[in-house]
Amino acid sequence: MDFILHLAPHLLNGLSLGFLFALIALGFMLIIGVMELINLAHGSLFALGAYVAMVVIAPSAPWWGALGKWYLAQPLGPRYVLALVVAPALIAVVGMLLEVCLRRTYGKDPLYGLLFTFGAAMVIEELIRIVWGSAEKFLQVPQAINGAFLFGGLIYSKYRFFSAGFALALIWLVWLFLECTPYGAMIKAGAHDSEMVRALGINLTRLRLYVFGFGTALAAFAGIIIAPIWGLRPHVGVDAVIPAFLIIVLGGVGSFWGAVLAGVLVGLAVALTAVYVSEWSLLSMYLLLIVVVTFRARGLFGKKSILEV
Amino acid sequence: MALKVDSGDRLVTRPMLILFAVLVSLPFWIEAVGLYQYLGIEIVVWMIYALGFNLLLGYTGLPSFGHGAYFGVGAYAFGLIQLRVVESLWLGLIAGILAAMAAGAAVAGLISHRRGIYYALMTIACGQVFWFTSVKWRSVTGGEDGLLNVARPTIDLGILSVSLRDNTALYYLAVAMLGVTVIGLWRVVHSRFGKALQAIKQNEMRAGFVGYNVWLYKYLVFTLSAGIAGLAGSLFAMAQKSAYPDVMSLHSAGLVVMMTLIGGGFVSFWGPVVGTAVFFLARDLLGAFTETWLLWYGLMFMGIILFKPEGIVGAWQDLVRRRRSAGTAEGTGFLPRLRG
Repeated sequence: MDFILHLAPHLLNGLSLGFLFALIALGFMLIIGVMELINLAHGSLFALGAYVAMVVIAPSAPWWGALGKWYLAQPLGPRYVLALVVAPALIAVVGMLLEVCLRRTYGKDPLYGLLFTFGAAMVIEELIRIVWGSAEKFLQVPQAINGAFLFGGLIYSKYRFFSAGFALALIWLVWLFLECTPYGAMIKAGAHDSEMVRALGINLTRLRLYVFGFGTALAAFAGIIIAPIWGLRPHVGVDAVIPAFLIIVLGGVGSFWGAVLAGVLVGLAVALTAVYVSEWSLLSMYLLLIVVVTFRARGLFGKKSILEV
Repeated sequence: MALKVDSGDRLVTRPMLILFAVLVSLPFWIEAVGLYQYLGIEIVVWMIYALGFNLLLGYTGLPSFGHGAYFGVGAYAFGLIQLRVVESLWLGLIAGILAAMAAGAAVAGLISHRRGIYYALMTIACGQVFWFTSVKWRSVTGGEDGLLNVARPTIDLGILSVSLRDNTALYYLAVAMLGVTVIGLWRVVHSRFGKALQAIKQNEMRAGFVGYNVWLYKYLVFTLSAGIAGLAGSLFAMAQKSAYPDVMSLHSAGLVVMMTLIGGGFVSFWGPVVGTAVFFLARDLLGAFTETWLLWYGLMFMGIILFKPEGIVGAWQDLVRRRRSAGTAEGTGFLPRLRG
């Protein structure tokens, strides 16, 4: 019993970390599922989203004189909410631009898409470095969700709970969108058999464009939510894209709940190993992946997909 | 996308002679064109690395995105031998190659049954394990700082011994190693083994049906490629007089992919060589004008993937072919564009 009580906060910590990991993987999974494309720029768009949000919350350049002053005088809450809307929308536009370029690689080896997005990741990271510099930045969060509270003799960070809750809500909303709307049906059908979808008269080109935009917007959401915890550096994207693809491979390509479960598993693995060997905790996710994939080639719930050919 | 196979039976070919002529004479003119000796070492080391990498990507069609790990393992092994055991060039190089091959063999055992994107993702994950270990295992690797003060030992050939402290001496050692690598790889890709690799690239399943043990070929080629990366890593440790985790990062592993592809590794043996030279020249020439050269290099890479995935050598081959077919069309009159 003591043992469980001792581990309980770490389990809680792992669970909340797991939801965040699942949130990072969400957009990545959508794009991989529908377009059979590994978007290695996912992490960079995650970072870019957080940087853009930082600018929306507190624009540093003196713009529009009095209006800018008035805007900055507003409480942090509404500005934060505005950032949560504007930044993902802008990142979705960036994502759609990438998708338009990517059209040339469709029908070729999926490796080309991977390589292209790898180049895009590098370019975006450099852009961030040019615009915002290499120094660490911080994303402000409103007072209401900041700070700490005491529970059962232990101190918890409010933001951790808010972020895990937000992640869970977003996962649920995306699931609802996929299951309960005609657009979700189209996306799922597109993932299943894109030729058939086209034959049924659905504009596949436009569907792919929107899915890519939606997926990258989700990356930006994840970036805004996670940046206050991880901090903001230009190469934070690498720290985000690696768990994302790891979770997808672990959960199995094309499985929504597989990805969520894998995210939680990775979160728990990282948090629990941190109790015993804190230095090495991040290694546990790679080892978890290697062990699972050695025994289950397609991950936990994966189906056969074009990525194997 | 077929690789050129002419002059495969020769030990030394004309492009090799041209390459060596350029590289051997390099120390005499590199400073005259405004560059510096050390750049030559870097270029040659990365050429070895990229050539070994292209054995996987270009010849076997296996996208390894974590190849920096084996380069790094070679560098660390070389450094540890110099710092902890004995200052010896040959022992260090052998240790670097063997350590990288051992690491490569361990990873290859886990991933050789995979293909395509899954293969790429698994190599990233395994590469990250090595990178992470090199950062955290401070007692052995020195953590973020890495191993410092790695010696440049003396080459002892019995009758003469040369100190590698001088950049030019180290450069010629690297060129000699590149020579061995180029000639060795040229033989490998034109051997039965190399033909089997190209068969696997074209259609893995069919190669299996024909009777090749595909898993074993993939295992061996990965190990060999890791060994070559280890050789390059050992030379790099000497060049930098240190070994550090940065070379194992995803970013650095991606650079070798980019160099290989921009040069034209998909269509030519020489793609990685051209790509490496272009990368370092771009770094130094563009870098002189703008701090943001990596941005432009990345954009160029994106453009090449979209418009000319065969890279620089591919574009050159097209040009030669077009000119040749134009010549035939003019010469004979009634057989236009036969070779196009």
